[in-house]
Amino acid sequence: MEKPKLIIDGKRCDGRAFDELRPFKIQAGILNKADGSAYIEWGNNKILAAVYGPRECIPRHDASPYRAVIHCRYLMASFSTLDEHGRSGPNRRSIEVSKVIKEVFENVVMTENFPKTAIDIFIEVLQADGGTRCAGITAAAVALADAGIPMRDLPCAIAAGKIENEVALDFGKLEDNYGDGDMPIAIAPRNNEILLLQMDGMFTKDELKRAIELAFGAFPKINALQAEALRIHYAVKRDEISV
Amino acid sequence: MEILDEIKKGYVTDLMKKNKRPDERGFFDYRPCIVERGIFNSAEGSARVKLGKTQVVAGVKVDIGTPFKDRPEEGVLSTTAELLPLASPTFEPGPPDEGAIEIARIVDRGIRSSNTLDLTTLFIEKDKVWTVFVDIYVLDHDGNLIDASALAAMAALLDAKLPKLEGGQLIRTERIEKLKVGEKVVTCTFSKIDSHIVLDPGLDEEKAMSARLTIATTPEHVCAMQKGGRGAFTKDEVINLVDTSFEKGKELRKLLD
Amino acid sequence: MTKIVVPGELLAGSPQRLEFAFVEDGKTYSSILGLFDEANLRIIPLEGAYVPTQYDLVVGIIDEVKFAGYNVDINSPYKGFLSAKDSRYEYNLGDIISAKVREVDEVKNVNLEGARELRDGEIVEINPAKVPRVIGKKNSMLDTIRAATRSEVFVGKNGRIWIKGGNSVLAARTVLKVEKEAHTTGLTERIEAFLKEELKNNR
Repeated sequence: MEKPKLIIDGKRCDGRAFDELRPFKIQAGILNKADGSAYIEWGNNKILAAVYGPRECIPRHDASPYRAVIHCRYLMASFSTLDEHGRSGPNRRSIEVSKVIKEVFENVVMTENFPKTAIDIFIEVLQADGGTRCAGITAAAVALADAGIPMRDLPCAIAAGKIENEVALDFGKLEDNYGDGDMPIAIAPRNNEILLLQMDGMFTKDELKRAIELAFGAFPKINALQAEALRIHYAVKRDEISV
Repeated sequence: MEILDEIKKGYVTDLMKKNKRPDERGFFDYRPCIVERGIFNSAEGSARVKLGKTQVVAGVKVDIGTPFKDRPEEGVLSTTAELLPLASPTFEPGPPDEGAIEIARIVDRGIRSSNTLDLTTLFIEKDKVWTVFVDIYVLDHDGNLIDASALAAMAALLDAKLPKLEGGQLIRTERIEKLKVGEKVVTCTFSKIDSHIVLDPGLDEEKAMSARLTIATTPEHVCAMQKGGRGAFTKDEVINLVDTSFEKGKELRKLLD
Repeated sequence: MTKIVVPGELLAGSPQRLEFAFVEDGKTYSSILGLFDEANLRIIPLEGAYVPTQYDLVVGIIDEVKFAGYNVDINSPYKGFLSAKDSRYEYNLGDIISAKVREVDEVKNVNLEGARELRDGEIVEINPAKVPRVIGKKNSMLDTIRAATRSEVFVGKNGRIWIKGGNSVLAARTVLKVEKEAHTTGLTERIEAFLKEELKNNR
């Protein structure tokens, strides 16, 4: 199968500059039953994140007497890609993705406030277009805040990669499949700590450095949109709170 | 058991404050490592790695299969890992859990990204390709299963020979042609304990660590990375560890000669 | 003036001891999504599960009858326990009680005391974070509702509200309306107007 052209006239296949993000928007609190929720559209990705908890930990033997246990389920709907019908349920890839996403939130969620409970995070990819784990983390952070769960920060994520010999930000699906390297990163924006880092492809050390810098350049914008989604959802003119 | 782990964790962390490791190694020293090839002749390729007291074996099995629809001229590579219950009191029987899956996928990533096993060389004819299964079995867990597994997998691939294909039939007892493998890919796994970073964590160090970073390299490139654990790394730490990985990678590659 | 703050947002450049906030490197940050009252240095959570605290009054449902007492569902990730010794009556599965949290220990076992059965009536469950608004300053909102509906209304800190008698349907509707509009301005006036209108139309 012929490899599609990813760079056309110095621009990327969708017309973006190498350091340009796809457009995205986030909505908080869109589900009723879940304790917290968020919906994100990032490029053509459509991803739903929902949180239940803190609640009773199931299975019981998983529970910790010292802190809440975080469970994360990242799943792609069977109709989420342009490829053929996907099998439902977790596969090895989604189990790995669930694990690395869980570890992001194990860092920032103040789990010690809720011993013996579980905080269950669900990320459903309804439509996939590259960078789903990054979009999922960005939405899940908003969902956790929406659920009133205390966190030290609001993590966000983006992937940087390599197309031919150029480093580029925020791959779409085509670039994901045919590019030469993909590196998703998640950070805690307050102090720039790296909470998720994965990479495949071939990078020289300099290319890696440049990719990391590109990603760090995008984080403030993503974080601002997360906060905005929460503020809009709880818009208050002025208030009369009294106890 | 959790209480014992807490005690060990305290012990390791205290030692770390005095700039020491439990087995008195340097912070970026590997434990003594032995790589043996061709240990199972039932497998087309095999290897055993002893990294300190950690022991891992890998077997390569080769089959004739059909290619993936979107890559019709490429062979298929599949990597799995099993944490056998005999390897540790904490491993339960059952299908691979997230830990086992992660190890397999990290090892696979390094091999696949570097293209060291060029899948196009596994093409036989239309709808017929070699499928290469790399299966890693952890026999004894004393820390750093990732590096031990990656080393075993790479060694098993270097050891592998394709069975004879005659008239469309596989004659498994005759192995002639070596599997075409290119660059030797190696992984370096680092653990963060408090604010210190050490290479090749032993089991007790893994209990005390807050995060780990695995970096897979060929002589000139980084071909895979995976951060694990709930702790964090800084940008600078990551870049420095990339440098260290290139350096230590040379040592590991010698073991694969 | 209050503003909405999100987890990790800077509240003060100096270390302050605030509920729902934490201090790092000498600065204070919010840990939750909430309303930050800068003048009074207070954060009001907008969401969140009910976490039992000592002396809270709660509305519970008997969940399990054991030999030594009862497990009580208190709308929390944590269950309450009522010792048989502390209850004058024998309760059955599904009974609704009001009780006080006697204590919460370090492993979050919640012990209840002073149980009273809440017979008949209905239960409305609201977001525990909105309970203070339903009560109002010095019980003002609660008094308004009680006066207008002549219902018995018992508000549990855990977001469960028991309503009996009077115009209980209107009381329930009003409680839900307060919950929905808890953090908007002019709520007291709007509720008073709402109650007046509904009573006028005999609802």
